[in-house]
Amino acid sequence: MSKRQVKKEQRDRIEAWRKDAETLSYEEAIQALDLLLAELQNDSVPLADLQQKVLHGEVYLNRCQSLLDSVEQSIVELDPTTLKATPDA
Amino acid sequence: MSVDRLPTYSVAELNTAIGSLLERGFAPRFLLEATVSRPQLRKGHLWLTLTDGSASIPGVVWASKLAQLSYQPKDGDGVTVVGKLNFWAARASLTVQALDIRPSLSTVLRDFERVRQLLEQEGLIDPSHQRPLPRQPASIAVLTSVPSSALADMLRTAAERWPMTQLIVVPIPVQGSVAPTIISTLEALAERTDELGLDALVLARGGGSREDLAVFDNEALCRLLANYPIPVVTGLGHEDDLTVADLVADHRAATPTAAIVALLPDREAERQGLAQRQSRLKDALLGRILRERQRLQDRDVDLQQQSPLEKIKRQRQALAQRHQLLKALSPERWLKRGLALISNTAGDPISDLESVKIGDQLNIRMSNGSLEARVDQIQPSAPTTSS
Repeated sequence: MSKRQVKKEQRDRIEAWRKDAETLSYEEAIQALDLLLAELQNDSVPLADLQQKVLHGEVYLNRCQSLLDSVEQSIVELDPTTLKATPDA
Repeated sequence: MSVDRLPTYSVAELNTAIGSLLERGFAPRFLLEATVSRPQLRKGHLWLTLTDGSASIPGVVWASKLAQLSYQPKDGDGVTVVGKLNFWAARASLTVQALDIRPSLSTVLRDFERVRQLLEQEGLIDPSHQRPLPRQPASIAVLTSVPSSALADMLRTAAERWPMTQLIVVPIPVQGSVAPTIISTLEALAERTDELGLDALVLARGGGSREDLAVFDNEALCRLLANYPIPVVTGLGHEDDLTVADLVADHRAATPTAAIVALLPDREAERQGLAQRQSRLKDALLGRILRERQRLQDRDVDLQQQSPLEKIKRQRQALAQRHQLLKALSPERWLKRGLALISNTAGDPISDLESVKIGDQLNIRMSNGSLEARVDQIQPSAPTTSS
């Protein structure tokens, strides 16, 4: 496999991880990151996979950071009788 | 005074004159501190006697007003009435028309104590039953009056701390039949916690008097909160106000803002935690390579020690040590210090006079050679006396 092909595969892989991480909540992403860190720190990851795991961890980390930077809070007001969202909320 | 100059009325005129005098001369609205006596509902209107023990006056709450009251006075309750005087000219009767009735502080605290004791006996107030709050709730319900400064404060605090949590605001009334409305809202919400993805409930009301919080001592409301399907956080009134709802909740916050602080994580603290994880991730690669290198070196040392040359070298060292020991224990050392070894012609060592007799041939070995000798005389040592 040529160097160019290897690089492309790596890019595709990171993109797939990123898409996957985007579906995670902050709590889920940080849990995934902590799990990965624990694996890395007890040396159970084969050396050949080490770099990939670290890159995967960075994807989770970026997901957490971007969620932390979000400023928009979702606020829904419900009608107390029907518990349906009020139109002007 | 002449009879001609006295005013003359019909009964109706007299009553009308009294009515107009009262209307002109009396405050249109006033506050009255009183105890409620014999309240009775008649045709939807609440009739009662307001008394202070020595004086009394009839009172009425019209049906239209009664529906708006958050509190229904009971016999013996201390109350503060916002009232006006009603004078019915037909019978010249005077009544206080209540525009608002609020329980006095002593009534509120008496109710609080009664409900607290009851629920405590039933085990509904028990700190050991308090559930832990979710760490990073996805969605929380906020029951509070809308609009209110309490809600504005809570929204601002939530935006600062944790904008990721969805806030579902459910307005609760502050006037009218507050308790039944809050109860029915809570019941409906309890049915839909899963559907709405709710992780916790905040019940909040901004400052005011303790009497304003009387609804949160309502027995049915507190029973519902005690058994609520999701953790409940209360933020009611001021820091010093304690209601039964606070006691049955999973967490009592001093104020509405404090309730949000208790429930939502702090974004800044979380950022610091993420920075630590980032550096752990960075160190993971380098640290692992260093640890693997160290392992490799340890194995190299182990391997070196297993080589045949190393084994022979270690055995040689052990042999040399034993040789030294042997030399240290040899009689040669004694001979070099001037002592001699005596043996008979058969080569047996002689260690006492009993083994020799006059004329025996002896061999005397010294450090640098030996000599032959014959025994001419035997002289035993003089016996030693022991002290």
